[in-house]
Parts: sequence; C-alpha cells; structure tokens
Amino acid sequence: MRVLLLLMGLTAMAAAQDDDIVWLDNYAEAVKTAKATGKPIFLEFRCEP
Amino acid sequence: MLSPKDSPLGKLLRQYVTVRIIRMDAIDIGLFEHDRNNTIYFYILNADEQIYLRYGGRDNASPDTYLNLDSLTLAAAKGLELHANRPPAPPRPKPDFPKNYPLLVERTFARNQCVECHLIGDYQNLHRQLDGTLDKMTHLYRSPDLKRVGIFLDVPQGLVIKEATGAAAAAGVQPGDRIAQWAGKVVWTFADVQHRFNETPRKAREAHLTVERGGKMVEVTMALPPQWWWSETKFRQSSVEPRFYFDDRPLTAAEKQELGLPAEGFASRVKYVSSTARTMELHGLQEDDVIAAIDGKRVDPDAHTASLYLILRKTPGDAATLEVLRGGKRIEMPLKTMQMSFRK
Repeated sequence: MRVLLLLMGLTAMAAAQDDDIVWLDNYAEAVKTAKATGKPIFLEFRCEP
Repeated sequence: MLSPKDSPLGKLLRQYVTVRIIRMDAIDIGLFEHDRNNTIYFYILNADEQIYLRYGGRDNASPDTYLNLDSLTLAAAKGLELHANRPPAPPRPKPDFPKNYPLLVERTFARNQCVECHLIGDYQNLHRQLDGTLDKMTHLYRSPDLKRVGIFLDVPQGLVIKEATGAAAAAGVQPGDRIAQWAGKVVWTFADVQHRFNETPRKAREAHLTVERGGKMVEVTMALPPQWWWSETKFRQSSVEPRFYFDDRPLTAAEKQELGLPAEGFASRVKYVSSTARTMELHGLQEDDVIAAIDGKRVDPDAHTASLYLILRKTPGDAATLEVLRGGKRIEMPLKTMQMSFRK
C-alpha cells in the first residue's frame, strides 16, 4: 500500500511542483495535444471515489 | 530527495502528454480493457491510440505488489523508445463504453454518481450473467497470479525473474531470465504479462513464453498446473459471486485417503468461519470441519475446494446441502448463499 500511495503522491507532486508537467483531466484533449505536439501519451487511470 | 522535477521519472514525464482520468464515463473500455479492481493503472500510447504498453496490476495480497518507482521509470523510458520506433499497430479492439450497460447507467449516470472502475467490472459481469455469457473461471478469476505458476519477479527490474519454482522451473525458466513474449505477444511490463496471461483460455494446459537469457531468446513451453487461474477473490467487490462466509483449504492426498474420499475430489477443511455466517443463518460450519460433498457431489473437474465448487456452480441466493465430517461423525447440513450488495 505504501508504494501505491507513493506513486499517487508522486504524480500529484508533479502537477504541483513542475510547470513543465501539466496533468490534463480530459482524454480527448490529451489525444488532441499529442497529435499537435507529436508526443506520446502517459495515461493514468486512478480510482478516487 | 524524491521530486518529479529532478527524478529520472520526472524528466521522462516531461516528454509526454500526461493525463489523469478519475471518471470513466466517456472512456472506451474496449480499448482500455484491464482488471477494474486496480486502484491505479497506466497506459502509454500515441495520438492514434496505439497502446505501446501498460503499467499496473496487482495480486490478492496487496494493490501495490507489482508497483514500483524503478519499474515505472523503466516503462516510461521504454514508452519513449517505442514511440520513436513505432512498432506495427495491432487491430484496434471493438469499442465499448460504460453507457452500453443499462444497469450501470441506471445506478450511476442516472443518479449522477461516479462511474467507478470496480462498478464497471461488476456490472459487466451482471450483464454477462443475465445474457448467459458469464464464464466464472474467466470473469471472476481475472488476472491470474504469476506466482501460481512459480514465477516470482524482481519487481524493480520489470520482467526479470528473481525466482522460478513449480511449473516455471519444470519448464526450464531460470532466475535472471527476462520475460520477452507471452503467447507470442511482446511484453514490456508486469501489466502486459498479466493482461496476456488473463487471455489464456481457462481450460488451457500449456502456456508459451519467450525469455531473454544471456542476450538470446529462448522459447519455453510451460505445463499449466490444475487451477492455475485460481486466485483469492476476497478483495473483489463482486455481486455475481455467491457469498457464504467461510474459508477452507484443500485436503491433502493423505487426508483424503484416511477419510476414504476420492483423490480427485474437492473435499476441504474449514479454516475460518465469519460471524456473518451465524448472524445471517447461512450454515452451521465450524473450524476444522471437513466438507466431503455438496449436493451429493464429491468431484468437479474445475474445483479443488468446496468453496471453489460453490463459487463456480452456484449463484447468489442458491441453497445447497453439505456432507460434513466432524469428530468422526457425518452430518448433513443445509447452506444458504448471499449476494453482496454495495451502493446499489
């Protein structure tokens, strides 16, 4: 469970601390951005009930 | 200090479009098809929605047995490499969306409630049960455990094998091998392997994998042991699985012989009985009881314990008659099963 929390915290920290990493919350927008930039997509599914 | 900005993973993530999805409403669950009982799961893909690799997966012991910062970093690096080289794209799976499941719509969308991942999995199974396509060995026992076939991974190193026992060792798998292909499909992560292993028909008796050993690819045919697909289902919130609130273990060959029970039978010894069983008056089992038969049956081709027999052959709410051995006596005992209900 500790590793899971670490990974979840890590990606959250990325959004908070690093201006270069922007976490989108819309899949269609991610695909559109990937088409425009040529970058691959790093997609995270997270359960946050 | 662990910081995405300075860490190897942070540097890799900057080369991606990063997206986090917490609501599944509009997601193509046909394309992003994974075990919905994962708390967190990653995909690396391109703008044409070609999936390069997956990352995630779990076992019954913990949701994070196979999650690790080092192996996630390896996966992120591999994703960039694959994106640069563009491997051929496999056929795209048939699209599917949460809105295709009327019971899910009725109990989430219509009530403006979150479409949670595990709800998708459970309602898919409820619909399968209604239309007669539910295959419990496949749909309840998702994500077979590699440890069941004797493969223990060095998790930080991705698919490098730390220890091989049982079926894997018998097939020649060795510590230090890296799993490169499973059933002819290239795999890069534990999630890739678990996804391919899950595609194995449950009646299969062999699995084919390729391991990288000392720079060479080695083909391995592994004989699958009985119930290779079995895993503990307690962490799953499944309303198509009958609930009866006891745990058991298979009898040993010697125990079966001593009790005059068939060697190939599913007789088992009760290890634990929850107070829920008493409260709900489901049965009168006690710890150390032996369940010798259910509804007169002692043998089933797929079950190695009485509890597995009940899960595979009964639906929630069904009743059964147990033949129980207790203190040298044979008891006929009624059993009722229940349906799990949660937020529905």
